Order: sequence, then structure tokens, then C-alpha cells
Amino acid sequence: MGLLSLLRKLKSAPDQELRILLLGLDNAGKTTLLKKLASEDITQTTPTQGFNIKSVQSDGFKLNVWDIGGQRKIRPYWRNYFENTDVLIYVIDSGDRKRFEETGQELGEILSEEKLAGVPVLIFANKQDLFNAAPASEIAEGLQLHTIRDRTWQIQACSATSGEGVKDGLDWVCKNLKKK
Amino acid sequence: MSSLLSKMGNCLLLLGLKKEKRPVTLLLVGLDNAGKTTAAKGIVGEPMEDVAPTVGFAPENLEYRGCEVTIYDLGGGSKIRPVWTKYFSEIHGVIFVVDSSDASRLEECKEVLVKLLSDKKIAGKPILVLANKQDVEGAMDEVDVVEGLGIEAVVNKYKCPTRVETCTATTTRSTNKPDKPIADGFRWLIDTIVVHYAVINKRVVKDMERERNHQKKEMEERKERLLRLRLERERAEKR
Ligand SMILES: Nc1nc2c(ncn2[C@@H]2O[C@H](COP(=O)(O)OP(=O)(O)OP(=O)(O)O)[C@@H](O)[C@H]2O)c(=O)[nH]1
Ligand SMILES: Nc1nc2c(ncn2[C@@H]2O[C@H](COP(=O)(O)OP(=O)(O)OP(=O)(O)O)[C@@H](O)[C@H]2O)c(=O)[nH]1
Ligand SMILES: [Mg+2]
Ligand SMILES: [Mg+2]
Repeated sequence: MGLLSLLRKLKSAPDQELRILLLGLDNAGKTTLLKKLASEDITQTTPTQGFNIKSVQSDGFKLNVWDIGGQRKIRPYWRNYFENTDVLIYVIDSGDRKRFEETGQELGEILSEEKLAGVPVLIFANKQDLFNAAPASEIAEGLQLHTIRDRTWQIQACSATSGEGVKDGLDWVCKNLKKK
Repeated sequence: MSSLLSKMGNCLLLLGLKKEKRPVTLLLVGLDNAGKTTAAKGIVGEPMEDVAPTVGFAPENLEYRGCEVTIYDLGGGSKIRPVWTKYFSEIHGVIFVVDSSDASRLEECKEVLVKLLSDKKIAGKPILVLANKQDVEGAMDEVDVVEGLGIEAVVNKYKCPTRVETCTATTTRSTNKPDKPIADGFRWLIDTIVVHYAVINKRVVKDMERERNHQKKEMEERKERLLRLRLERERAEKR
């Protein structure tokens, strides 16, 4: 089935449910982003120990978004959430250049998992409001995104606190659902 | 009997080998907003009503005239353009899309084109130039685009077989067929690659091998750096 007809079909069936996985290192801004998506107050977040889940409506889709804690000791549990993922959103702190290599390696490991084969990846280049935020090319290089060949990927500059770029990212997600 | 079976087996094997499709990888680039993604969706027969700017990598696949074609649709914005080079070693040919309705960006477009074709990994490979958005009033015609971008000089200098097509990538949305000039150009590109396949593919195989080794080395260095960082961190945590 072509993507367009797939989209049409999905659109005619309102509340088509999709599972979105939010991953990324600790402090990247995943929980802030999730709260922003759900239009909740974002002034306070604490490091996530387990997971948060929220349902967001977008473009006639019902997106069930799973936000998993990113601290090092929690990362081994990420794999418990891989099953049935439609789109992976990988969040990075665009100002934290020191950790680009670390986050790139984590992403590489995730993408080699069978359960996420072919799943499109949106890189939310978060915290663009910081004066030292890296541009897309530097992020692509730092995370070695060019080594990803088996699926589509997209960098979306955003700021979870101001909300800038967040909607554009969701639009991309809805347009690039895993072809089933 | 067994020899007959094995002969049949050989026969099937031969047929199977014969059917094997040639891999052809194309690079689809040009400035942002030129219409690359729109054109790619038309080529693979999945027209899109509205496209978002690509800031990344959007591969498309299709089978075409005995070839297994992969199109690397890359973002054209200046912030993502530096990643293009990462894909050069793999490609057999280039589709370069130009927004003919935007004369103000001709200079930028020319610089990008020259830089692209002068690259050692690209020079000599076939290139299809799509002078897109002909439906826009006042759009530059073929001659304007060829002259404006200095295409003649640059492709001659770098010995790239070239074809220029004026087109409207969006027509596919209403007709559900790819725009004819795009289809013609695409056929020319694939045919040209097929004719020169042995030479081009030899380059590709060699360049990819080099790239792989380079990448492997980089990955090992990276792993080592990360390991060192981890050990340092663990030592600090113990204290
Ligand atoms: N300047 C700026 N700060 C942000 C942005 N998004 C999040 N933050 C801050 O970054 C810190 C971490 O945000 P969280 O949302 O808790 O990060 P997380 O990715 O959920 O972290 P873990 O749950 O530990 O994995 C908080 O202090 C946020 O206020 C942003 O866009 N800009
Ligand atoms: N009028 C007209 N508009 C077109 C044509 N082709 C594409 N467009 C429009 O031009 C805009 C950009 O098209 P894209 O296909 O996203 O351009 P792109 O080259 O992929 O851009 P990047 O992904 O940012 O590099 C979209 O709004 C398209 O609808 C065309 O032939 N005529
Ligand atoms: Mg969190
Ligand atoms: Mg595009």
C-alpha cells in the first residue's frame, strides 16, 4: 500500500492508536517535552525513575507517548519498551556537546535491536533556546547519524520549554509512520 | 535421475542469478525547498499532498528496469548540507533539483553544484538536473537555468554525463503519474548508469571499502574514548 493511501485510511479511522517511544540521555528534556505535548505545566520535572505515559491527539491520530528515564542505571530497561513501537523519538540536549558521542552510541545500540527494525527516528534537538545549541550538521556528525541506512531519520530543532519546533516534529511523526 | 535433478537445479540457479537485480544508488540533492522530496514521492508513486522540509535522510526504494534503485533524499538546508558528503562513496548517479522560480538563490545554487561535482567521489558520474517549478509564473526556462548555474562549464570540467529537464514535480498530485519530464530524465539517468555500470560500480565498491575501513577505525576510537570516560567516572564515584 502506498503511504498516501495508508494515511488516508488512517485518517478515515479516527483515533488510530500509535505507540511513540521517547528515549534519550538523562536531562535531555524528555519529560518536559511530554508535558508540553500534553499542555501541562512544565516548571517542575524531576529525573524519571521509571516511565511516564500520556496520550496526545494529533492529525486524527491518538499518539500514546512513552517517556522512559534516561539515567545510566535505567538505560538497560529501555529494551522492555521496544515492542510495537511505531516511531522512535530520540531527545538530545543540543547544548551538551560533551555527551554527543555517548548519546550517539546509545542510539546506535537501540537501532540495532530487531524489535525496532525499520522504525523511523525523529531526533528532537532540544534546548535550542540555549545560546550554545549545536546546529543540525554538528548533531548529525556528533551522533554519527549517517551510519543509519535502514530507515528514515530527521532532526527537528526544538525547545521543550518554549514549545518551538515541537509541533513540527509531531507533524513529521504523523507523516512517517512505519509502513505496515 | 539424480544428475537430471542436479542439472535442473543448475538451471534454476542460473535463472535465479540472471534475475538478480543490479543495485543502483542515487543521490537526490539541491537547495532546500527545491522540490526534491516532492519529486522523489512522484518517482516512487506515492505522491504527497504536503511535504515537510527534510532535515535528515529519507531513503526511497523502487525496482526499475532490472535495477534495485535506492534514492537518498537528503535535506537541502544549509544546516544539514554538510552530511551530503557522507553518502558520496555509495552513489552511482545524482539527481540535482533546482527551484526555477527562485532566481535570487541561483548564486548559492551554483556554488553548491560546483562543490558537489568537483568532489572526487562524484566527478564523472551521471547527473540529472531537474529545473523544477515550471508551473510558477516567470519561472526560468532551460536556457536561463543552464546559463545561470554555469552547468555547461562545470559538467564539462568534471566530465559528468548530464541531462537537464524542465519539470513540475507537483503535477503528480493531480494526475497520479510522475511528471513526464521527470520520468524521462529518470529513465535516462538509469540507462546511462546501466551502460557504464561496470566502471561506476567499480568506483563505488572501492570507495565504499575505503569508507568502511575509515568508519570502523573511527568507531573503535570512539568506543575507546567512551570507555575511558566511563572508567574515570567510576573512579570518581568511588571516591
Ligand atoms: N533551556 C532549556 N531547558 C530545558 C529544555 N527542556 C528541558 N529543559 C530542562 O532540562 C532539565 C531536564 O529535563 P527533563 O525533562 O526532566 O529531562 P529528562 O530527559 O526527562 O531526564 P530523565 O528523566 O532523567 O531521563 C530540566 O531542568 C528542564 O527544565 C529546553 O528546551 N530548554
Ligand atoms: N509550484 C510548485 N511548487 C512545488 C513544486 N515542487 C515542489 N513544490 C513545493 O515546494 C515546497 C518544497 O518542496 P519539497 O519537496 O519539500 O522540497 P525539498 O527540496 O525536498 O526541500 P528540503 O527537504 O528542505 O531540502 C513544497 O511546498 C512543495 O509543495 C512544483 O513543481 N511547483
Ligand atoms: Mg524524565
Ligand atoms: Mg525534502
